[in-house]
Formats: sequence, structure tokens, C-alpha cells
Amino acid sequence: MPQDDRRRRFELLALPHLDAAFNLARWLAGNTADAEDVVQDAYLRAYRYFDSFQGGNFRVWLLTIVRNAFVTWVKENRSGRMVFTPDTPVADTAETEETLWGSRPSDPEALLLESIESQTLGRLMEQLPAEYREVLLLREVEDLAYKEIADVTGVPIGTVMSRLSRARLALRKLWLQHADTEAAHGV
Amino acid sequence: MECRRADGLLSGLIDHELWPLSRLRVTRHLARCAACAGKVEELRAVQAAIRTKLPYHRAPPGLAARIGAALPREAAPQAARPWFRLPAFSLAGTGLAGAVAGVALTLLFVGGSDDATQAVIGSHIRSMQVGHLTDVTTSDQHTVKPWLAAHLDVSPAVRELKDAGFPLVGGRMDYIDGHPAAAVVYTRAKHVINLFAWASTGKDEGFHKETRQGFNVVTWRRSGIQYYAVSDVEAEQLVEFARLVAQ
Repeated sequence: MPQDDRRRRFELLALPHLDAAFNLARWLAGNTADAEDVVQDAYLRAYRYFDSFQGGNFRVWLLTIVRNAFVTWVKENRSGRMVFTPDTPVADTAETEETLWGSRPSDPEALLLESIESQTLGRLMEQLPAEYREVLLLREVEDLAYKEIADVTGVPIGTVMSRLSRARLALRKLWLQHADTEAAHGV
Repeated sequence: MECRRADGLLSGLIDHELWPLSRLRVTRHLARCAACAGKVEELRAVQAAIRTKLPYHRAPPGLAARIGAALPREAAPQAARPWFRLPAFSLAGTGLAGAVAGVALTLLFVGGSDDATQAVIGSHIRSMQVGHLTDVTTSDQHTVKPWLAAHLDVSPAVRELKDAGFPLVGGRMDYIDGHPAAAVVYTRAKHVINLFAWASTGKDEGFHKETRQGFNVVTWRRSGIQYYAVSDVEAEQLVEFARLVAQ
């Protein structure tokens, strides 16, 4: 049966990427229940538009749909709360190199990110804006190339590079602040 | 190049995403600017921390079943049993990813083509079932190689590539297209790389890469051994991995 073949092909392609889809949705939505809804919606959408998949990297295609399902979900469930803020020109000009990098730590030991606990890193990550979290996830965890990240997020490649740069610096800044606080409390 | 211009390109540099000319200019700048060189190290530290430390959330048990139940059913229901009710699903307790992978593999053999690439992808998926990744688990190449040699008629290259970012995890015996094959397992950040090897006649062949089902596959043949590296890491990185193994 053609319809049955279609479903079988879909399952064959989509199921191995369920963890990747869920992990992205979980980091974007912030909790398991919402992430499950997003992923389920994404898989239904992917099945509906399966015929439009033109070959290429199925994982990238699927993650694009997960990301879009999340955007829809935000609009429907967190109305009024802007999760994806566009990279405004204001931010581009106002953030000088100084503010981006912050003050250089006098103690290089403070930068030893190797010593960071997984849980701490996770908490810091959650404090980042969604568009930072998403590029970091796609780049560092899903290992996507800039072109692929551009496809998933719908922004130009140049923006992917600058956003990734900002995202890494923002995480670094949070980490430095966290390390400072810990030091102040004598931990 | 000024620091100001270099700054915008540092992430592109560590991601290997700069055009050759830009890369050259940035590299030259870094050679004589300690401040920017320090920034590169800091960006790399952030990158490494996320890659190695960020918690990974696997799909919870039951999600695959929920999705399966929600998929439209206008198709003839008396046809093949839906995947979420196959017996393999009883593996859910041991980790859903494995259960799903096991089912996907079943379908693969039912519906997929039977060429070697398809077979190694199927084996790669199955290997990620809990407990199926390695038969011998060690990061010591001097343990993996003799173990494989003792169990198989091939002795593939086994290397410790931890410093290059591909730590060795272990090895196992596998079957590809009904023939015994060695599988040497490496990781890259959170991703598994399966390197399959089996005896094969024919001339040496250079690297060939292809992408299928969202997985990258790099193949080559050297000294009578056919190699297949399979993973969902970036194609370029998988080629780099292949070069390191083959060198």
C-alpha cells in the first residue's frame, strides 16, 4: 500500500532522530511536558509535509520543523512573551567589544570552564535568550554547519556567525558572574 | 587586520567556517596579537564546555508511542503492524532510544535496500541500544585490537584519537550483510561514531562520503580491509576522523 509505505519510510527516517528532536525542544521550551508537545506537533507536521522533503540531510529538515513548531507553540501558549527577539541594529551598535567581552578576569583560573559542573552549565544555559540557546545547541550538540544552522533558523549565514559569537560570549559572561558569586560566598 | 575586524571572525575560525583568505588574515593577526589569541582560547573553552558538559535530554519513554498513535491512520490499518506495538517496544524499560532504534532496524530490513551503506547505518542505529554499543569497553587501543583480532579474521586499524577529539570507547563484533565485521567505537562530543571493518578484496580506495537518513558515512579501502565510518557528526569532521584513522 503506498500510504503504508509512506508511513514506513517516514518512521525509518524520523525515529532515529527522536532524541535530537527532543533535546532541542527541551532546551528551547525549558521543561519536559512542553517539549513533548512541541516534538509531537513537529512529528505530525513532518509527516504531513513529508512529500516535500527533497532529500539531503533529514535531521536538518526535521530540526527545522521542531524549531518552527516551537515558535508556533510559543505564540499559542506564551502570548505576549517574546522569546525570539530579532538581532536589532541597536544591540549591534550599542554593544561594543568591551561590553561583549566584559572586563578581562584578573585571575585566569576563573576561566577554567573545564571545572564547571554539568548542572551549573545547564542552569546558565537556561538564562540565555532562546535564539542564543538554539544556535549553541545546533552548533555544539547537533554539530551542524553554519549553512545548516542558517536553514534551520531562517537567518543569513553571517548572522549565524555573529549570533554564535554573542551566544558564546554571553555564556562566558554568565559563567564569570557565577564564579565571582561563588568566590564571594567562599565556596 | 585590526582587532575590531578580527573579533567578528573568531567564532568562524574555531568552527572552521571561514573562507581561506579570511582564515589566513585572521591567523596572521593572531600570530602577533596576544589579546585576540587569548579570546580564541576562551571561545574554545566555552565550546568545549558545552560539547562535553551540557546535559543531554533524551526523549522520555512513551513519547514515541504517543507520536505513533497520533499519526494519521487513513492508511489501511490491516497492513503491517504499527511500529509502536512491535515486540521490540517492550525494551522501553531499558531506554527508549534503544527500543526505537531496534524497531527502526526491523523496518530497515523489511523495507530498506540491502546494500552495505544501508546495512551499516542499520547497525549503527542498533548499536546505540543500551548495552549493544561495545563488547569490549576500553579506551586502550592495545586491548581493543587484540580482542578484535581474536574474534575476527580482520585486524583493522585501531587508534587512540582522544587528543584529536575522538576518544576510543571500545569494540564489538558485528554482522553486516550476513558477514562478520569489526566495529570500533569512538565518540565525538555526544555523538557515537561506529567504524566498521571487514575483509575485502580489491584495490585501495580513497575516501568517499555520502549522507543518508541524516547520517554521514565515509568509506575507504586499505590493505584488503573495507572501512565504513558512520555517525551523525558533521561530514567534514567524519572525513577528518577517517583521515586520522587511515594515516
